[in-house]
Amino acid sequence: MSSLRIEHAAALARRKLGDATGPRFWRALEELADDPGFKRELIDALPQFSAFAAMDRRRFLQLLGASLAFAGLAACSGPPPEQIVPWETPPPGVTPDTPQFYATTLAYAGDVIGVLVTSHMGRPTKIEGNPLHPASLGATGPMPQAAVLEVWDPDRSQAPLYRGHAATWQAFAADVAMWPASFARDGSGLHVVSDRVVSPTLRAQREQWMLRYPRMHWYEHAPVAQDHAEQGAMLAFGKPVATRYHFEKADVILSLEADFLGDMPGRVAYAHAFAERRNPSAPAGMNRLYVLEATPSITGTMADHRWVMASSSIALFALELARALGIGADAPVAPGSLSAKQHQALQSDLLAHRGRCLVVAGGSQPPQVHAIAHLLNDKLGNVGHTVDYVDVPEDVTKREPLGALRNAIMAGQVQRLVVLDSNLVYNAPADLQLSRLIKQVPHVVHWGLYVDETAQLAEWHLPASHVLESWSDAQTDDGVASIVQPLIDPLYQGRSAHEFLALLMGEPVQDGLAIVQAQWRLQNPAMAWPDSVRTGVIAGSGGKLAQIDVRTDDLHGWSPQALQHGALELVFRPDPTVWDGRYANNGWLQELPKPPTQLTWSNAALISPQLAKERALANGDVVVLACEGRQVEAPVWITPGQAAHSVTVHLGYGRKRAGRVGNALGFDAYALRTSNQPWTVQGLALHKTGRSVTLASTQTHFAMETEGSKPPVRSLKLADFERDPDAAEEGDKTPPSIYPEQPQGEYAWAMAIDLNVCIGCKGCTIACQAENNIPVVGADQVLREREMHWIRVDRYYSGSAENPVTHNQPVPCMHCEHAPCELVCPVGATVHDDEGLNLQVYNRCIGTRWCSNNCPYKVRRFNFLQFSDLTTETWKAQRNPEVSVRSRGVMEKCTYCIQRIENAHIAADREQRRIADGDIVTACQAACPTQAITFGDLRDPHSAVNRIKASPRNYDVLEELNTRPRTSYLAQVRNPHPDLEDEA
Amino acid sequence: MSQVFSPSFGLYAKLALLGLLLVVVSAGSAWRGAVTDPHRLGEPVNQPVPFSHKHHVDDDGIDCRFCHTSVETSAFAGIPPIATCMTCHSQLFTDAPMLKPLIDSWKSGVPLRWNRVYQLPDFVYFNHSIHIAKGVGCVSCHGRIDKMPLTQRVVPLSMAWCLDCHRQPQKFLRPHDKVFDLAWQPKDQKKLGVELLHQYHIDTGRMTDCSLCHR
Repeated sequence: MSSLRIEHAAALARRKLGDATGPRFWRALEELADDPGFKRELIDALPQFSAFAAMDRRRFLQLLGASLAFAGLAACSGPPPEQIVPWETPPPGVTPDTPQFYATTLAYAGDVIGVLVTSHMGRPTKIEGNPLHPASLGATGPMPQAAVLEVWDPDRSQAPLYRGHAATWQAFAADVAMWPASFARDGSGLHVVSDRVVSPTLRAQREQWMLRYPRMHWYEHAPVAQDHAEQGAMLAFGKPVATRYHFEKADVILSLEADFLGDMPGRVAYAHAFAERRNPSAPAGMNRLYVLEATPSITGTMADHRWVMASSSIALFALELARALGIGADAPVAPGSLSAKQHQALQSDLLAHRGRCLVVAGGSQPPQVHAIAHLLNDKLGNVGHTVDYVDVPEDVTKREPLGALRNAIMAGQVQRLVVLDSNLVYNAPADLQLSRLIKQVPHVVHWGLYVDETAQLAEWHLPASHVLESWSDAQTDDGVASIVQPLIDPLYQGRSAHEFLALLMGEPVQDGLAIVQAQWRLQNPAMAWPDSVRTGVIAGSGGKLAQIDVRTDDLHGWSPQALQHGALELVFRPDPTVWDGRYANNGWLQELPKPPTQLTWSNAALISPQLAKERALANGDVVVLACEGRQVEAPVWITPGQAAHSVTVHLGYGRKRAGRVGNALGFDAYALRTSNQPWTVQGLALHKTGRSVTLASTQTHFAMETEGSKPPVRSLKLADFERDPDAAEEGDKTPPSIYPEQPQGEYAWAMAIDLNVCIGCKGCTIACQAENNIPVVGADQVLREREMHWIRVDRYYSGSAENPVTHNQPVPCMHCEHAPCELVCPVGATVHDDEGLNLQVYNRCIGTRWCSNNCPYKVRRFNFLQFSDLTTETWKAQRNPEVSVRSRGVMEKCTYCIQRIENAHIAADREQRRIADGDIVTACQAACPTQAITFGDLRDPHSAVNRIKASPRNYDVLEELNTRPRTSYLAQVRNPHPDLEDEA
Repeated sequence: MSQVFSPSFGLYAKLALLGLLLVVVSAGSAWRGAVTDPHRLGEPVNQPVPFSHKHHVDDDGIDCRFCHTSVETSAFAGIPPIATCMTCHSQLFTDAPMLKPLIDSWKSGVPLRWNRVYQLPDFVYFNHSIHIAKGVGCVSCHGRIDKMPLTQRVVPLSMAWCLDCHRQPQKFLRPHDKVFDLAWQPKDQKKLGVELLHQYHIDTGRMTDCSLCHR
């Protein structure tokens, strides 16, 4: 990445934008400034060889000779003889070679979702959403997809460790038998730290244990949790309730830094509901989204009005809005950071949609803001319409803060500390200094998936079984419970949480299935176990509607501090891919470009273009971030749309004991985080160090040649769309062609992608990676533009660098009818088939890369090195057997999930029927929470894809090149407030 | 000026050329030997239990699908679990030394390991069920397996051999009720083949698409 001085860029940008007419889309600041270096990158769109060390003639000849010799050697082996190993007695219902699907539940990244796991002959290989589970509705988004990589991770803990040496479960059981002697009869001295407990069975076990030892302590420590939302509900209603939003009913939505599409519990279902109201032709009409936030989030990129504001100042805005709508008259008059016109428009919009609007506060906002959001919803008559409240499954008021553990350790009261799947040495707030204090605890027992930072300091480490290896259960925030069933026996010596707890408690039954079944017999005697396991949802388990009365007393006298002029604030966010650090060793998630920075393999301190100009910083410059006497060094990343004086850091990096993949990446933001101010800290100091690092961002990669063409993304305002529905495809005409038509088969496969509902979560990218055995290449190769994702999500900006409008565009292979790649292949390795698929024949490919050069959409990916790991045993088991694993030197690209097409074809052909619409769901389509992707047959006049392509918003990218792509897009429509049209 | 080459040089040159030829031929055949299939065409393959298709199919008259249960529904025809063998062999020949590995496997739970005879590369996605559904008989690929005491491969399984049929499926199609009949001979394959092609709705246009077998 060229290090362009930012003032220069900004000046050029202003000049550029000043005289631009019509929409202009850009991806990186350098692009906006027309930097010659960037131009060069665009021109030779394939990897930059400048990154290689210079090589002399002799060295080159040596390497050439060696590779020829090795190639000759490698050819001297025939195919290894294979053996067939039959079952002794086959398990019922299993047909060899036919995958099966099992319903289970994943608790991931602060959320619980029902999924269907694909099992190939007993190996879990792919995760899809469970259509029957209300938190999934059939979709998954990015993170649940990666669980299948986690179960096969060779770095997982495999055996018990005692003081770092291999031990056995028997030895541990013998140790446990001695425990009661080490603490008092009533349990004082026994302390337990766990992640947030979402399993009803684990809750019951905890209760039982605490009944036996009334003075033991149990802390729930999750670095990213909805504590503020829970406390906010307490403030507003005086009792703990869970909030359920109904975005599908809301005409106007105001988000106070709430990333309900990105990181809130229930995000997948919320995205589904939100997307239902983004279709401008829908009978209920299009919704309007206002977002106030400091750092661009997934929700922010979807906003019709995104108002950039320091995170600390949002509270003042909320108070101001509440006062204007007649709540809390004694609130102080806040300094307005929005214009009167914006205030006026927002208020009138909310008031005009009483009962059909929604105010949502984000987890990073203080509890009072959540309370204000509840009061506003009550005042606007939304309760019972767009929002309702349900009783929470457990009493959140009884939770003990982690600070109590610190005090207990300091007082010498902790004899035995049991850590259940929590990495508090790494992720506890820095002010608690637990990483130091934990060494004073005589006995620490750690149970977890990895030998992580906490396990290193523990006396005992016990391996956990993975969620895909265990029987358990889980419950969403609003009470929907479901069973977790194993797909495979534990690969290593892991045991589930229930089995581990049963061992600690000395229970006679220590089998996971028996424990979970016993709990449900007790909790819900009417429950049909086989049905619940099969469908993946326990019928009737959702929470009951709560009776609520709002109260305003607790808000009196609350006066939040606005961000002082010129001062900096530090904002913490969970990482969009590795979350709080727990997925650090997951290559798929590490390499997934993070929305919206497109960074991979590292976090960065996100700063605004204004701040970069003030401090003369460029991308990758290392700065010292200091607050309250603590400091870390972090590279900066200039992020368009970031609040001027807010610096955002993502948690989850700087791991030391994550594993081979996740160690020593990025910087540890927890070092700055305190228990009192977990999300926003004012008074940040930022100093340059003068050093600089290169960050692997993909934001300028695979840029399409659009010089002289219409922009690849098209966006228009709702009013314009209603006036002229054909505005999006104005002037488009498919030019005549001299190439012969492709053969017309029985089917014609095609795809349509609705840019209006694509939220840019990249669930499609990772689903495709899982389905198609796409390798991970590493940061070094990403820097050389060699990432292998078959479907990338391009992110374009339009408008100013301070607060641009964001446009997401997933780009798979276009499967052009007149494909430019096919014409240039010297060996016929890329050809067309009868049904319109542009095929890549790996065995014919000799790696000239001419096809990729000639592809205007830049969707072809080349195996520059042996990226697929062909030696590690567990990765072999992880792969989808329906798709070839590619080797070095061949080109590959999106196949429209040809394996799914062929399987549907065979099933239909066997019965001599046509493939029905919806029989084939591509991996990207299945994962998409907003159903932005539709796939189907163009020959079927009633197919969904034909229906969608008939929309006036439908357009082809680079149509004038006459490639006749089978993948088309629906233009984006924004719905700004009529009074604020000029700003959107 | 003296002669550059001595009179015996002609012989040396001829010998050297012969030697070169020898080296090239032996290198070529060594390479062929190394990269071709582990079991040769028409060569019976040893198995842990000398299972005879001839005995089970021809003598006993057991249908293919009794053991290869998933041949009509799945890509893989299915190798019978030991339990299938034990339907008879828990009573018959239980102490025959030939069957000892089978009985041992049943008792100990340690699976038998059969040597694969028909082996396709991993980039070929062959599906048994669709071939059965479209009237390709077992015998077309597996030969007269009912006459084989030890199973052997009778076709090359090369892509050219696959394409022989994929280009002209009518030459090999048979009625559904004759698919498992190894001895059946058509009276007029030319006429029957074309009829069946229509009856089975075989889209010959895509039979040679790469995507049909390679993913």
